Amino acid sequence: MPDNIIEVKDLKKTYPGGTEAVRGVTFNVRAGEFFGFLGPNGAGKSTTMNMLVNLVKKTSGDIIIDGLDLDVKSREIYGRIGFAMQEIGLDETATAREMLNLHGRLYHMSKEKIDSQIDKLLKLVELEKVADKFTQTYSGGMRRRFDLALSLIHEPKILFLDEPTQGLDPHARQLIWGHLRELNKNGMTVFLTTHFMDEAEALCDRLAIMDKGQIVTEGTVKELLEKHDAKNLEEVFLTTTGSNLGEEEVNTNASDPYSRARG
Amino acid sequence: MSIFLSDWYYLSIRSIKQIWRPLLALIPSLFIPIFFFLVNSASLSAFSNVKGFPKVPYRDFIAPVALFTAVFFSCGNAGIELAQDISNGYFKKLLIMPISRLTIILGRLTEVAVQAVMQGMIVMVLLLLVGVRIRTGVAGALAIFVILIVFAMGWSCLSMITALRTQNMRLVQSMFVIVFPFLYITTSQAPLNLLPSPFRQMASVNPVTYIIEGVRALVLTADWGSAAIWQGFLVACAFFVIMVSLTLASFNKTLK
Repeated sequence: MPDNIIEVKDLKKTYPGGTEAVRGVTFNVRAGEFFGFLGPNGAGKSTTMNMLVNLVKKTSGDIIIDGLDLDVKSREIYGRIGFAMQEIGLDETATAREMLNLHGRLYHMSKEKIDSQIDKLLKLVELEKVADKFTQTYSGGMRRRFDLALSLIHEPKILFLDEPTQGLDPHARQLIWGHLRELNKNGMTVFLTTHFMDEAEALCDRLAIMDKGQIVTEGTVKELLEKHDAKNLEEVFLTTTGSNLGEEEVNTNASDPYSRARG
Repeated sequence: MSIFLSDWYYLSIRSIKQIWRPLLALIPSLFIPIFFFLVNSASLSAFSNVKGFPKVPYRDFIAPVALFTAVFFSCGNAGIELAQDISNGYFKKLLIMPISRLTIILGRLTEVAVQAVMQGMIVMVLLLLVGVRIRTGVAGALAIFVILIVFAMGWSCLSMITALRTQNMRLVQSMFVIVFPFLYITTSQAPLNLLPSPFRQMASVNPVTYIIEGVRALVLTADWGSAAIWQGFLVACAFFVIMVSLTLASFNKTLK
């Protein structure tokens, strides 16, 4: 196993229209590490993460995941990663059990393995009782927990999490934190983007703070506090990014449904 | 079973389940073709007395249109469901799975085929009950389904391409009505020789004309050597291949 399970070198993304979302980012994530990616809105965190899983095309730079070049071996990499996105994408016409089963099949797992994973994961996220209900009936917290379970069905080596506790109540957040700690303790590498300083402080071994498309500082929580002479992570964040509100931009990645009407 | 076939199978099962969820959504797509057939066959039956019209009952002449419409009402769901997957983010999950993107398209097309068979069978039985005769027999009935379903799968790619390119649900839904000009500027109501000149020319370049004429030849003649039948097959297959290729190319456009 390579020491660095994620290697990113001089990664850039310029969207059509000229918005430079990511301006030459270089970092590594070690195998088994809980790595946090922080930054204000519009800093380029989600774009970076989406490039790491190949959902956004990079403009330039290198991405190596588990020793494989993403440009060449994307299909192999997909089998080794799980991704719980900011937007919880669920098939609302399916039940949780049906979705887990489908995903297990599409990750080419055996029926026995799928069945044991389904039981294990539903128990982990405390959704056994609603496993046969349609996911459209789930509350926000249940949907978030189920999405986490779905991203774990194939026991990925690396778990990407984009704002996994966004919109959750404190109880649900604590529950998710507990699951993530457990997964990481069992050897899974976790790459997390979050807005919450307490979340980053509680979970992450090492952090990078991003602002205006670049990494502005990187290290363990202890290293960052010392380096920036700060009392807590929020102070580090404010010192390095200048504000707790980033320069948010229109999502140029989304289609414009009215462009034709405007001619 | 190879991985490709296995992925296709499981994605098809997922899509087919969506046909029944909700079941009530199936009712309009069955009602409308039957409604048009009954109204047209009753109100336009005198057309068959016009000079130059084939010497067959008018209801037999327009039976292919009822079958075509029944099968075509299965086309819209593939694009709508794909647009739903895209808008709620589920599509991204599929994109980062170790599966071929072609299986995502084929899974949706299998749903179209299954729904088309179900709806087409119901309308076919109804047509037989009201006295329509399929001169090429059971084999002809099967051939009718092949032509219509292959073409319907190709047509459903249009809504999938719209979903992939625009990611806009309303636009995808509105794409469905495009079938009507294509259906009416054909020989659906009268033979080509009875259409006025501009319509005749437009109908001649409309692929739907060849589908209707192919099915009509299977219903009205017992002649398997009829050029219309083979033209129908060829147009359906060519259209299918072109549209699936365009859909696959559109996948790349979803990644910015």
